[in-house]
Amino acid sequence: MSAPKLLSANFGSEVSHRLDHYLERGGYDEARRVIAEVEPEQVIDQVKRAKLRGCGGAGFPTGMKWSFIPKGGDKPVYLAVNADEGEPGTFKDKYILTYEPHMLLEGMLICGKAVGCHKAYIYVRGEFDLPIERMEQAVAEAYERGYLGADVMGTGFPFDVVVHRGGGAYICGEETALLESLEGKPGHPRLKPPFPALVGLHGCPTVINNVETLALVPHITRLGADAFLKLGVESQGGTKLYCVSGHVNRPGIFELSPSVTLRALIDDYAGGMRDGAKLKAVIPGGLSAPVLRPDELDTEGSFEGLKQVNSMLGSAGLIVMDESVCMVEAMHTIIQFYAHESCGQCTPCREGTGWMRRIVERILAGHGRAEDTANLDSIARKITGTTICPLGDAAAWPVMGFVEKFRDEFEYFCKNGRSMVSGEKVGA
Amino acid sequence: MAAGDNTTTGETLSAALAAKEVEVTCFPEELREECDALRARYETPRAALMPLLWAFQRRYGYVSREMERVIAEELEIPLIWVRETVTFYTMYNQRPVGSHHVQVCGNLSCTLCGARETIRMIEEELGIAVGETTADGRFTLSVVQCLAACEEAPMMQVNDRYYGRLDRQRVREIFGGLE
Amino acid sequence: MPKLTIDGREVEVEQGTTLIEAARRLDIHIPHYCYHRGLSIAGNCRMCLVEVEGAPKMMIACHTQAADGMVVHTDNDKCREFRASILEFILVNHPLDCPVCDQAGECKLQDYYMEHGAAGSRLDEDKVKKRAKAKQIGPNIMLDTERCILCSRCVRFTDEITHTHELGITERADHSEITLADGAWLDNRYAGCVVDICPVGALTDRDFRFKCRVWYLTAVDSICTGCGRGCNIAIHVNRDRPHKAGGARVMRYKPRENPEVNQWWMCDEGRYTYKQIDHDRLTEATVEGRTATVEEALDATGAALRKAGDAVGVLVATTATNEELYLARALFAGALGGHAAYLAPPQGEADDLLILADKAPNTRGAQEILGEQAADPVAWVKEKGVKAVVVVGEAELTGLKAEVDHVAVIATHPGKATEQAHVVLPGSVHAEAEGSFTNLAGRVQRIRVAVPPIGGAVETWRLLMELGDRLGHPFDFAFEDDIFAALADQLAPFAGLSHESLGRRGAPLGSGTTQPAEVA
Repeated sequence: MSAPKLLSANFGSEVSHRLDHYLERGGYDEARRVIAEVEPEQVIDQVKRAKLRGCGGAGFPTGMKWSFIPKGGDKPVYLAVNADEGEPGTFKDKYILTYEPHMLLEGMLICGKAVGCHKAYIYVRGEFDLPIERMEQAVAEAYERGYLGADVMGTGFPFDVVVHRGGGAYICGEETALLESLEGKPGHPRLKPPFPALVGLHGCPTVINNVETLALVPHITRLGADAFLKLGVESQGGTKLYCVSGHVNRPGIFELSPSVTLRALIDDYAGGMRDGAKLKAVIPGGLSAPVLRPDELDTEGSFEGLKQVNSMLGSAGLIVMDESVCMVEAMHTIIQFYAHESCGQCTPCREGTGWMRRIVERILAGHGRAEDTANLDSIARKITGTTICPLGDAAAWPVMGFVEKFRDEFEYFCKNGRSMVSGEKVGA
Repeated sequence: MAAGDNTTTGETLSAALAAKEVEVTCFPEELREECDALRARYETPRAALMPLLWAFQRRYGYVSREMERVIAEELEIPLIWVRETVTFYTMYNQRPVGSHHVQVCGNLSCTLCGARETIRMIEEELGIAVGETTADGRFTLSVVQCLAACEEAPMMQVNDRYYGRLDRQRVREIFGGLE
Repeated sequence: MPKLTIDGREVEVEQGTTLIEAARRLDIHIPHYCYHRGLSIAGNCRMCLVEVEGAPKMMIACHTQAADGMVVHTDNDKCREFRASILEFILVNHPLDCPVCDQAGECKLQDYYMEHGAAGSRLDEDKVKKRAKAKQIGPNIMLDTERCILCSRCVRFTDEITHTHELGITERADHSEITLADGAWLDNRYAGCVVDICPVGALTDRDFRFKCRVWYLTAVDSICTGCGRGCNIAIHVNRDRPHKAGGARVMRYKPRENPEVNQWWMCDEGRYTYKQIDHDRLTEATVEGRTATVEEALDATGAALRKAGDAVGVLVATTATNEELYLARALFAGALGGHAAYLAPPQGEADDLLILADKAPNTRGAQEILGEQAADPVAWVKEKGVKAVVVVGEAELTGLKAEVDHVAVIATHPGKATEQAHVVLPGSVHAEAEGSFTNLAGRVQRIRVAVPPIGGAVETWRLLMELGDRLGHPFDFAFEDDIFAALADQLAPFAGLSHESLGRRGAPLGSGTTQPAEVA
């Protein structure tokens, strides 16, 4: 399972964010070479063959996404970097922004060459003060030393980067909400089609990539597509950053081959269960991924592997829960998040998330009713597939997963007015 | 109370917070240069709105209704656009907050690691409830959504800094070290 | 041109046509709230979800474009199930205050619920409290955000049509709320349209609120008389229960869609002109200031006109219908050998949407039918040597009585003209007679009888015919459309047109001979 640390070798370093340190490590060599010597189609082809998949959550093949950008159009092409890391349980992009900002910039430059883009925005979530500071510092250094600007590294290739600070809205991690936000508007996701590759920021073709995705790009061009692919699994090249939190001994970030099983991630990398407690459930890919039981953890930690257990890798944020956890209470934390973060634009998500939250609150207060469990499941099902953006699904899936796999706990709470686990009612 | 909705208008301000209110009736010259740079950097005046709101909040600690008007006039955009954006995002304070805005994560990973108890403990330490500000105007306490630092749960953000693995002793040290 | 199948029927549409519009071609109505043909597509209500075979999920018909070979179902079990659940979601925070809601009876929430929902409620949670309950946001507009379903039509209207930006949606999630901008007032010239397009009771018209339940109203097609645009409207009449509305007969105007004229809109200036229909009307004839029967008044004027021989004239206001103008011309310029001219229309402000400076509904008709304008009526009667004059319609006339032997005025409201008349005849307003107007762009459009002439008033066209009888020139018209037929026969621009062929949306001058008239 040992994988080279493409991204994380310098996580925690005091100096890795500085340009000089990055240059010492061969930084920007790939960007210079690609911009000067490689044709855009070749770059895209290489990224396709490397089977790089979007690390923001959806796992869309990055090379294919780039290939959707029209060639030779008269409108400018934009790159929007999604650094709005907000999926609960996920904290990987924060590390890249903080410790490897130049690696991200280099990936952006290569992307810029591939899609013919000369202006990029990095949309960083508003709370990330230190990462923003680091990113802004890196951009300033890069401008000063000619790695960004009107003539990148003497190649004649212009590339501008703006660091944009979010305002506190989970939904802006959704790519079209992010674009709306970049235009100064509330983050209401757009109707698709048209897709951002054709009509994106300010009506222009736009690539939207996650931080981790772009930071991997220089490694693809450096290693070559085949070598990069070999680091991963058949359906997904390269290494993957996994975030593990919750009831484990060593919560943290781990860069591994996606061939790693979830059980190995928890037991071998995150140090196993805290205080020797017994594992009860794992949310494998950020809060919206359907929950898994202990018997479902031998699956591969890849996009395809998680699909096989009817969940998803998502943002690769694992939240580990031991047997002390009341799943009704946990459900409340989850649903109040989505009810709070729904943008409010379309009906099922706006009304359904708040409705489910109120039902769970009533159950927690000891006033559950026999039909509540079935109603939660049915409301969630009625949200799925009916909304403008995936937030509706993201809110519905965990509810459906919790009710399906821990139905007895919900029914117990409704019937007895107290938790099956703690024996108490929680109050809302 | 929904996490993050800590700084909306409505309730009356304590004297300490009221003292932090600023009257801004025309565009402040000290932000002129930054504003011009933003307008040059962004494709449309409206796109410069969020960074300009941040500039006001950095300068004044919050964005008042008057400031919204000043910003709309400066960018020559409809006032309602500013209002929509200010109210959609949770980080724009619509009224003054304490000098130290303590925001404790209440999402799942932190809750699993005791965030609920941590919040109660911080309430005790500060002598205020969530959503309140200390009488001296130093601390405002909020519960917020996931801050992407689950590896350090339970955690909080105080103004621009993250603090993880909170317990009573560490919280006392942190608060003690603040001005 | 994609050819697709909707509910088992094939239809071919232009590239880019949305499913909701393709279905409309087949007279299939797909329920919707946020979609409005005059506004951008928001796609937020999700009510128009339909099943497209092969698609992984339900698609919104307002935004999904028709593609060749597409097979669409709009009313199968799956669609009905989704529709019912969307309605259930919409009602989660709706107050269900229909008994006290003025929208009841014309509320899409009620309509669709009866048709697609009607399930027992399983919702037993508290509703989210919204801030604005019955809040006045403009001179005529009330906002009730509890009832709002956040379809954003009103916001899009003020953004895209009037560009006035008074409204927006603030906050988020289920706290989202329609909000009036600080210091703003929804008083733009088209503000009333937000009430028309609000599918629920969130925006109501202060002028209409609580005056009459809408199910007592009858809608009659008509044309707004506020300016030369000729906006298509429906006159909403309270025929059955005027006693419940303080005797008011006409309760309101609503714009009626006509893509060639006003799209879906009308201005407030025009919207509230309905009040003139019943306000301060002339309801009886007078002769020399004394109340008389209409017959006595007609006799008096008939005698005066006969005495004047061919030194007679008629001055017609541009509020008169084409039919009235034609009768005036036929009688005075034709049969009697006298003179006929129209009065200058009142002028006002124009804008770049609908409002025109010419504040009369039929100036173009008067130009076509009478040709001559009497810019200065006193000079005109002097020049023409007119000794007895009939004025048809409202006019700011002074000094006329001193120049002629007899002034008769067929009018609807007291004014400068009636003050100096020897004889006043109470005529009809546009809501009280059949007829037509020609708007400034040359479109001939019908008006229909919404209410009978008030009190002792008589249709103006009948009064003109009665005068013809008394002068030995009887007209052989039984109904208004006969008059129009004669007009079409006599005047080339009207040739080939008829009341029937004008339909509900009218037809341009000249179109009766060049192309088949549009049928609505």
